[in-house]
Amino acid sequence: MGKNRIGKILVTEEQIVSRCKELGAKITKDYQGKTPIIVGLLTGAVPFVAELIKHIEGEIVLDFMSVKSYQGNIQQSKLAFIHDITTCVQGEDVIIVDDVADSGLTLSAIVEHMHKKGAKSVKVCCLLDKPDAKKHPVNLDYVGFTIENDFVIGFGLDYNGRYRNLPYIALYVLD
Amino acid sequence: MEMNHVGRILLTEEQILTRIKELGKEISKDYKGKRPVLVGLLTGAVPFLAELIKHIEVPLKMDFMSVKSYTGSSQSSKLAFIHDITTNVLDEDVILVDDIADSGHTMSAIIEQMKQKGARSVKVCCLLNKPAARKYPIPLDYVGFEIENVYILGFGLDHYGYYRNLPFIAVCKED
Repeated sequence: MGKNRIGKILVTEEQIVSRCKELGAKITKDYQGKTPIIVGLLTGAVPFVAELIKHIEGEIVLDFMSVKSYQGNIQQSKLAFIHDITTCVQGEDVIIVDDVADSGLTLSAIVEHMHKKGAKSVKVCCLLDKPDAKKHPVNLDYVGFTIENDFVIGFGLDYNGRYRNLPYIALYVLD
Repeated sequence: MEMNHVGRILLTEEQILTRIKELGKEISKDYKGKRPVLVGLLTGAVPFLAELIKHIEVPLKMDFMSVKSYTGSSQSSKLAFIHDITTNVLDEDVILVDDIADSGHTMSAIIEQMKQKGARSVKVCCLLNKPAARKYPIPLDYVGFEIENVYILGFGLDHYGYYRNLPFIAVCKED
């Protein structure tokens, strides 16, 4: 397996679950009488979405989309929509759910995408927020934990596709 | 939440979590020294997959695909591949993960597709098995629970897109 890359645990499994409970209760309250469409971003958001929805007590619809961002040789990076949602969001209340808000590029583009599709409202829910990494302004309505601009793994977050299955969030040990 | 369709509880949250822990251990043992690629089927498999990976102790990758089956006017139903995996599975050990094995149509097609992509091995892991509904033979390597041939909802399983967020599995009361 080579060198152990799993560093200091930043957020324990217990902390994640109890924070998801709080966020779920808040969403339940904010969307009382509504049926929000929860849109998770593949693949990283899956563990968070799965834990979060357990604690939302209203009726919801669940869907996923996949967007990749490519870093170009200049400052700007481009987005490719790999898989779009299959649910019609026209006139609906959408909650976009992701693992981490870093540069904000993907999230700001998806908020715009949902508005273009005619969503009545679009809110954003992230397990982690890295304010120091922000380059594109995005309004975060629900945030689990605010962290520093470190490379983190676990609970959906990967390094080259690995470590997503860790039930906690840890620092990734670089060389 | 309007619980109009939620009938008798077949499996409690505790039963589900306990069984998934066992499946995770079994997979960890069977794949020791390997790095399986877990492929979940959207959208129903998400709660199951998210819980399962927490208990798998070997390094893994996860990806998702989306397949819809349409029932025609005759007995035959057709499959449409909406979203394919983005991971290269050539020479990899693939574990297909779904919420339920009923007719087996989708799963048998995906097993075939993974073999065509050059996967070294393909195994199937389903939370639920409805043997009485089977029309296409599929090998089920890991099964959570065998259930009777009734319409159910919860823990990923939906009724017109709703109820996926219930943390338990219940019989669906039809209108």
